[in-house]
Amino acid sequence: MSYRKFIKRKKPKEQSEDLEKVEPKSIGTSIKENLNIIKQKTGNSPDIIIRMLTFSHDPRVSTAIVHVDGLVDNPTINEFLVQSMEDSVQEKLEEKDIFKVFSEKVIAVSSLETRKDWDSLFQALLSGDTIILADGKKEALIASTRGGERRLVEQSDSEITLRGSKEGFTESINTNTALVRRIIKNPNLWVETMNLGKQTNTDLSIMYINGIVDTDIVKEVRQRLGRVDLDAILDSGYIEQVIEDESSGLFPTVTHTERPDAVAGNLLEGRVAIFVSGTPHVLIVPAVMIQFFQTPEDYYVRFPISTLIRMLRVFMFLISLIGPAFYVAATTFHQEMIPTDLLVIIASQTESVPFPAIVEALIMEVTFEILREAGLRMPNKISATISIVGALVIGQGVIQAGIVSPAMVIVVATTAIASLATPNYDIAISARLLRFAFMLSAAIAGFYGIILGLIMLIVHLVSLRSFGVPYMSPFAPLVPKGLKDTIMRGPIWSFNERPKSLHPQNPVRQGKHQKPLPPLKRRMVRTNTKEGDKNES
Amino acid sequence: MNRKWIIPFFMAIYLPLLSGCWSSIELRDLAIVSAYALDKNEDGTYVGTFQLINPMNVPGALQGGQSGQKPSIATYTATGGNPLEVADRASTKVSRDLYFAHTSLLVISEELAKEEGLSSILDAMERGLEFRTTTNIVISRDMKAGDFVQVLTAIDQVPAEKAIKSLEFTEKLYGENIATNLQKFIKAAVSTGKEPLVSGFTVEGDIKKAKTMEQLQSSEGEATIEVNGIGVFKEGKLMNWIEGDRSEGTLWVLDQIQQAPVNIDWKDKKEAISYKVVRQKTNVEAQTKDGKPVISVHIRAEGDLRAIDVPVNVTDPHVLFRIEKALQQKIKDEAEAAIHEAQKTKTDIFGFGEKLHQSDPHSWKKLEPAWQDVYFPALDVDVTVEAFIRRTGMRNNPYLFDLNKKSD
Repeated sequence: MSYRKFIKRKKPKEQSEDLEKVEPKSIGTSIKENLNIIKQKTGNSPDIIIRMLTFSHDPRVSTAIVHVDGLVDNPTINEFLVQSMEDSVQEKLEEKDIFKVFSEKVIAVSSLETRKDWDSLFQALLSGDTIILADGKKEALIASTRGGERRLVEQSDSEITLRGSKEGFTESINTNTALVRRIIKNPNLWVETMNLGKQTNTDLSIMYINGIVDTDIVKEVRQRLGRVDLDAILDSGYIEQVIEDESSGLFPTVTHTERPDAVAGNLLEGRVAIFVSGTPHVLIVPAVMIQFFQTPEDYYVRFPISTLIRMLRVFMFLISLIGPAFYVAATTFHQEMIPTDLLVIIASQTESVPFPAIVEALIMEVTFEILREAGLRMPNKISATISIVGALVIGQGVIQAGIVSPAMVIVVATTAIASLATPNYDIAISARLLRFAFMLSAAIAGFYGIILGLIMLIVHLVSLRSFGVPYMSPFAPLVPKGLKDTIMRGPIWSFNERPKSLHPQNPVRQGKHQKPLPPLKRRMVRTNTKEGDKNES
Repeated sequence: MNRKWIIPFFMAIYLPLLSGCWSSIELRDLAIVSAYALDKNEDGTYVGTFQLINPMNVPGALQGGQSGQKPSIATYTATGGNPLEVADRASTKVSRDLYFAHTSLLVISEELAKEEGLSSILDAMERGLEFRTTTNIVISRDMKAGDFVQVLTAIDQVPAEKAIKSLEFTEKLYGENIATNLQKFIKAAVSTGKEPLVSGFTVEGDIKKAKTMEQLQSSEGEATIEVNGIGVFKEGKLMNWIEGDRSEGTLWVLDQIQQAPVNIDWKDKKEAISYKVVRQKTNVEAQTKDGKPVISVHIRAEGDLRAIDVPVNVTDPHVLFRIEKALQQKIKDEAEAAIHEAQKTKTDIFGFGEKLHQSDPHSWKKLEPAWQDVYFPALDVDVTVEAFIRRTGMRNNPYLFDLNKKSD
């Protein structure tokens, strides 16, 4: 208790009052004073560019253009602001309200507004807008000139598909929302923006399709975001960690993507997307477990193939979860389950190994984790060296030295590949951590331990929720109709309803009878089409 | 976390650790027993010989690379009052834990099987935790079981595997043997209407040399393990041996033939036509007529002609029909001979009693006490055979037939 008192007492109250005195809340009349305030607040930073414009025939009227170098679109400022102001001011200066002249006749930028308070002026300035000040005016003009150097729309590195759109999100939030708008051309695609982060003032947008999304989910998102009072938001990961349901669990309850088509697909199912400025990773809520095994490409290829691939992914996840544990359990507890010939081979390999199977497994797993981490953080040129050292020195070396058995290396390598092949990194990393827990439980109690671990895991998963939606739906609670888009991927023509667990306002996704049929007669054109029908050829 | 929960939390965490790694054992602490041989000493104790796999010397193992130079098995011998005590005593000689879950062969010496029977041995085996009931039982004829498991084999590095494979393949391809595992044996032994059959093995050649690497250094080998005859058990004890044609007849009645050659005589020429069965089905029906049991055995065989030593025109359906007739007679003779033999020794190895039990439980109750000694030997068995030639092989008429035609 004394500790808390100690902290409370130390809180400086007077200092903040001092600051408020110095800073006036709204703009003053004197242009010099105003410019001084700007300079003072930005600490005379040289990238805040102030351009004074005085007019030769009337020196009384002086104006200033303020913008931040690099954040603005330079051609816009040069052509549509400075140039046109200089050109035209001389003629129309008879009129008194200079801003009215500017906004109506002179300045040719898309958006122009007047503001008085410093807060919004600075917000606009630092977002890349240009402020126009005039002597004698108690307000300022904000011209939208946002621009500057940005990464172009490129293919996403982390989510690669063979088929489908190659576009990936960028760091610019406007570009990102536009990329989704290009896919869903519908006025019901609603965007709400907000500004979070006390120091960073990061722009945030939430996007959903009105009429599909459950309004309770949107409310919940708004409420959770409204609660956020962070110092800085450097990535959507910050937001994810403060709005997720289970922050200490191993499983992600918020998913993210770099692909506009993935966002569009999720919005159409009734989910909400959260765009954060400065990151290409867009958050999608609510998330269910099975989503982490799906990729946008699943819907683009024909359904039997993607069903098979999805099954493979779940199988890979299981391997990456219990692969080494299974090997440890089988070789130390349940030798009778291994076929005799295989057992003899494994036994001959472990004959010279000095460690118990669990230690052997831990050595190899930890080595692999080290290699993986080293390869991830290193520049490309060095990572080639790492793979050679990893493969030759460690892989070959430990076997020849007889420290680890070849069978164990095979098991660990298979597990590693299975783990890397899991499409979503977040879920792969959960399996990576849990793998060690499973290895220990297998070393303590064999298959019994693995089964116990799996039961505990399933209990945990079933108890999770993401924005009110059960994490394991549609398995638990069971929604039979929802099962066709889980481990299997039913044909597109059978997806007549949106996922029930998301409680969409409009549950009907598409018309019935979407299954293509062969022509009724031998002639290719179906005879029952009439003039004006959509499928008239 | 509240302090109140911290202590229970750590207690819960230590709980699984306190149990230790119960029943966990590393592979290199295991001695994998591939075969277990039991003999009887003069003083009445059991002598057990364990054939252990030495994994380092089994080919396919990367490390060591000793394969082909050292034997892939090691054998240890121990004595004891019962089969399990033998295993326990052996631990004084073996540095590892004897592991019986992969034991595929149980070898009993003929002497032990005849004098003592298998009942007490099998009880110990089945009761033991590790021993599998799918382990095959064989009998070593005219030799010690211990010697049998010490003989090295060339192609299959583990001799037990070799014994089982030759058992399985002769059963499948030649039809003169039968693979019996613990479970099958016990099932047949406890049933009054059926008696178990166990295959016998012999070793031909110099057994002493066959135990050394000399055995593997010549293409011929010093000695070979051979499947030889089927042992008939009665009341758990070995009664007699069935050999040659009679064992084939036995398997015909038992519905155990998968592929088997049948040779018939043709116009005074012995074994002139060879026929290979590819599909076979035997139905045994048991009934009681006027209180007397009547058994009818119906054998249906389908197969191909394999070798023809006489000039016959096999393109002629009438000739084929006559061959089929001869085949039927031959199979029928074999089967009947086997049945008569079994009736002579008063052992119902075919399970006729069991069939009768199923079809007529009421009269079986009356017949059961005296089945083996009174009813079975006096049984009237009606054997009918159907044999079909499905193909004549890749040729139509034999060369001999074509040659004769030419000379005509």
